[in-house]
Amino acid sequence: MTLEKLLSYDWGIMAPEFTILIVATLLSLMDLFIPNKASRKPLALLGIAGVIIAIVFAVMQVGTEPTSILFDTYRFDSFALAFKLLFLVATGLILLLALDYEGGREWEFRGEFFYLLLTALLGAMMMASSADLITLFVGLELLSISSYILAGIRKNNLHSNEAAFKYVVNGGIATAITLFGMSYIYGLTGSTNLYEISEALTNPAVEQNAFLLVMAFVMLLVGLAFKIAAAPFHMWAPDVYQGSATPVTAFLSVVSKSAGFALILKMFLITFLSVQGWHNSIILELQPYIAVIAGVTMVIGNVVALRQRNIKRMFAYSSIAHAGYVLVPFVSLSLLVFKMTWFYLLAYLLMNIGAFAVIQFVTEKERSEDFTAFSGLYKRAPWVAVMMAVFILSLAGLPFTAGFIGKFGIFMSSLGTGHFVLASVMMATTVISYVYYFNVLVQIFFRKGEVDRLRPSVGLLIVMIICAVGTIFFGIYPGAAYDFFQGFDMNELFIK
Amino acid sequence: MNPIIWLIPVLPLLSFVLLLLFGRRVKEASAVVGSLLTLGSLILSVVVFMGQWGGASVKQTVEWLAIGDTVLTVGYEINPLNALMLVIVSFVSFLIQVYSKGYMHDDDRFPVFFAYLGLFTFAMLGLVISPNLLQLYIFWELVGVGSFLLIGYYFYKSEAREAAKKAFIMTRIGDVGLFIGMILLFWQVGSFELDAIFDAVTTGDISQGWITLTAILIFVGAIGKSGQFPLHTWLPDAMEGPTPVSALIHAATMVAAGVYLVAAMFPLFEASEAALTTVAVVGGFTAIFAATIGLAQADIKRVLAYSTVSQLGYMMLALGSSGYVAGIFHLTTHAFFKALLFLAAGSVIHAVHTQNIHEMGGLWKKMKWTAPLFLIGAMAISGVPLLSGFFSKDEILAATYADGRFGLFWIAVIATFLTAFYMFRLFFLVFTGESQGKVKKVQESPGVMVFPMVVLGILAVIAGYINTPVAPILDDYLAQNSYLEIHHHESYWWIPIVATVVSLFGIFMAWLVYAKKKVKRLSEASPDFHFILLNKYFIDETYDYSFVKGTRGFSYFWYYIDRFVVEGVIQLVTGAVGWISKISSKAHNGQVQLYGSVAFAGMAVLLLIVAWLGGYLT
Repeated sequence: MTLEKLLSYDWGIMAPEFTILIVATLLSLMDLFIPNKASRKPLALLGIAGVIIAIVFAVMQVGTEPTSILFDTYRFDSFALAFKLLFLVATGLILLLALDYEGGREWEFRGEFFYLLLTALLGAMMMASSADLITLFVGLELLSISSYILAGIRKNNLHSNEAAFKYVVNGGIATAITLFGMSYIYGLTGSTNLYEISEALTNPAVEQNAFLLVMAFVMLLVGLAFKIAAAPFHMWAPDVYQGSATPVTAFLSVVSKSAGFALILKMFLITFLSVQGWHNSIILELQPYIAVIAGVTMVIGNVVALRQRNIKRMFAYSSIAHAGYVLVPFVSLSLLVFKMTWFYLLAYLLMNIGAFAVIQFVTEKERSEDFTAFSGLYKRAPWVAVMMAVFILSLAGLPFTAGFIGKFGIFMSSLGTGHFVLASVMMATTVISYVYYFNVLVQIFFRKGEVDRLRPSVGLLIVMIICAVGTIFFGIYPGAAYDFFQGFDMNELFIK
Repeated sequence: MNPIIWLIPVLPLLSFVLLLLFGRRVKEASAVVGSLLTLGSLILSVVVFMGQWGGASVKQTVEWLAIGDTVLTVGYEINPLNALMLVIVSFVSFLIQVYSKGYMHDDDRFPVFFAYLGLFTFAMLGLVISPNLLQLYIFWELVGVGSFLLIGYYFYKSEAREAAKKAFIMTRIGDVGLFIGMILLFWQVGSFELDAIFDAVTTGDISQGWITLTAILIFVGAIGKSGQFPLHTWLPDAMEGPTPVSALIHAATMVAAGVYLVAAMFPLFEASEAALTTVAVVGGFTAIFAATIGLAQADIKRVLAYSTVSQLGYMMLALGSSGYVAGIFHLTTHAFFKALLFLAAGSVIHAVHTQNIHEMGGLWKKMKWTAPLFLIGAMAISGVPLLSGFFSKDEILAATYADGRFGLFWIAVIATFLTAFYMFRLFFLVFTGESQGKVKKVQESPGVMVFPMVVLGILAVIAGYINTPVAPILDDYLAQNSYLEIHHHESYWWIPIVATVVSLFGIFMAWLVYAKKKVKRLSEASPDFHFILLNKYFIDETYDYSFVKGTRGFSYFWYYIDRFVVEGVIQLVTGAVGWISKISSKAHNGQVQLYGSVAFAGMAVLLLIVAWLGGYLT
């Protein structure tokens, strides 16, 4: 590649990524030169500023034509942008959370935390934007490896060590399986570019080897199911979520998971949608497998959550269950699949980060992660309690919250395409989920606890308010998000 | 947009918000704020209601959300049915708030209570004016949240916490049916709007099978909310809430929402014989089933709770027998006399500080207002002639008979007897005889509590005259709905007579059995009556062994069925969930080897299935 060629690319499309990269590099350098004992808070502020600049760049890109650079390995389109915005907003909120995380002595290395969070974000953004198996994989690994370190960042904490170890081992298994699946696809098509693969797969010679293709599909599905913590590849999640610092847990359960969904949608829809199976598009024929995974995920997540007393573990299972819900539009594959998935992820972002903000607040004040730490919260911090109620009602899918609209949309699209069984499983498990969500509410409102007033710090309060207002706003007027999303033409994904 | 209409639900919402924000500062004045704003709703409701006499339905919607090509709307609709509901809801809510000022007097979370009442009233009024199923569903859930908060109001009692949770989750099970029915209807009709659905039913755009299925699913929602068998078990437990709440939510309004839902969707139900039969059978069975259980309860509020379940069963029976007007009529009269009974019971509890009827007695002379008012309520619900319950129950019986459901008709007649019996058992045990209580200085409740009872007492007497066979005003009023065919069945002269005889017989029996102590005491005082006493005693014994023991046995039989079979099935389901939960959480034992093995096993299973089926599934 000549320098001219290199310079001729439209690098502007990567402006948000470059911003994050530069800020992450800056932070890592600054961390080296700041004295050991000094506070790392300025780093967080710089990180937040970087994320905001990246958001501004991303918003300015809305409406830009699809462009690809670097020999079609990296691609800008509306699909990528819509997901990148989600990742950026979520990471911004999580940085605010981390700003006030007190984790004690073990938290002294938080300088690393801030730039690792940004590199993880960068990996997620690459996953949304890649058009090539290799760049996809690099993005995936950048996200994963940063996350492994993040999980173990409280290095004097035994739980944190355990979390990191388990995450690495399980993540390794997932990576291996994903790569193995990818190798089949490369073997069948001789290409790593998603669009070229899609074309090559329609070649009759490849179609005769459809069986191998199905194997590759299942393998990829399994590998990526790890990332979104779908059953039975979810078992790492509770331990990792419980052991990690709360902001890290929030990051894993929101950004990392959303990135997994972006990757699944992108990879499967581009490569497999147009490929004929025996009767139909291969992806339609394999729907039952994904449906089973989605169903099992919802059941396991919600049912096991019933028995949890540790609040972070309970939310880990809740987050597993939500992965099951988000898989439903992918199974039903109506025309609204992007809209429903995106909106649900947005709602999930708001309610889950909000809930984790409250969890961080309460568990730190009480020095306990047992769910009884929440007892009497309504008396001690009424507004925090009310906001937590908003998040929990939204997670449970009650009206006037974004969670309801999200579930409603998913439910509509699944019934509309005739997936009655899956829809019933979703409804039944939703009812089960009320039990554990309401246990927390009962603690907050109906139990007596300590009497002293609790005040959240400014950063936490900002996160809670943003999330609560967003949850209610999109619950009452979801049209705002839908209209915004209307500006993204998802068909761009399929245009080479 | 007509401000008169949308202000009706907004005023209580305003009360909720104001009291939440400033309640701590205004303290006792919260009751005034809440009551006045609800009074505003009531006045506007009456205006709207007046406008419905001969006026046309009003409907206004705005676009809310567009998903793909479908546009969802929000707005309001006023028709004869929901205008009547608006008046009932805002009226009862207003009276309850006035009453609560006295009842909740020394409670330290006084403003919160009124804030919750505002939230509930808002949700209930919003439910009633919803022009489409989606909006109705949203408010339906919000009503459930209001009920949850109010049942759990005494949260320091563990029973109250449990009851609140149980109520919420049990009704949610019903809501799942409603939700699925609603979405299926949407996919069949392409709209959530009620009139679009009815149009589709009329023109036959939706097949018979779908009509039956969706109607039954929607009815499942009504079963949950209206405490019908087998989802009724939450309602008696819900009595853990403050008594005014029981009167408002668990007697007059929220539990009637299920009946309202069936009535509002009546053109859909009417199009399917199977759906109507389901409604009638569930209603009829619930009516007698709950009435028998009511015979054996010792807690005054629980008796009333089972009575409510039973009366709601009557309403469902009426609707299922195409007695649209009869169902709504009974809903209206029941709202008044049952709210009255609850408030009177609350007044008694307020005075004697117990809910156990065996610890009461002899209150007739001590509670000069409450006792006669309770008697009026008991007479009205028992169907004593010329009181409101007499007319509405008569309508239901006639509708059932006219529809050819003779088995259900006789069940309803027997339930009438049981109703009279348990109500007067309550009356005699509480108000007559010797005082059994610990509190010696019983005081009548303050005027602010007596006033609402007097108003409800007057209505319990006269509300029946809105639809007498001579002047069927309600018939004509409700018939203004273009989607409905109101069946004018012939009136049967003998039905009111049978009903009257049966209910008077029930009262007489209750008197014999529960007022007998009076006779006994008299006999001990004067030996002259010894012979009579012996005879009386003999009769009592006969009754005791044949009738009372028999009924009690019957009652216990159903009670145990309820306890072990119905609860057993529920236990089984929850047990199964718990078992899965236990097994799978054990699997998460923290061993990373296991995690890896499960993942590999999962993948292997998937691949094996693919290989076995050759990837070919469909």
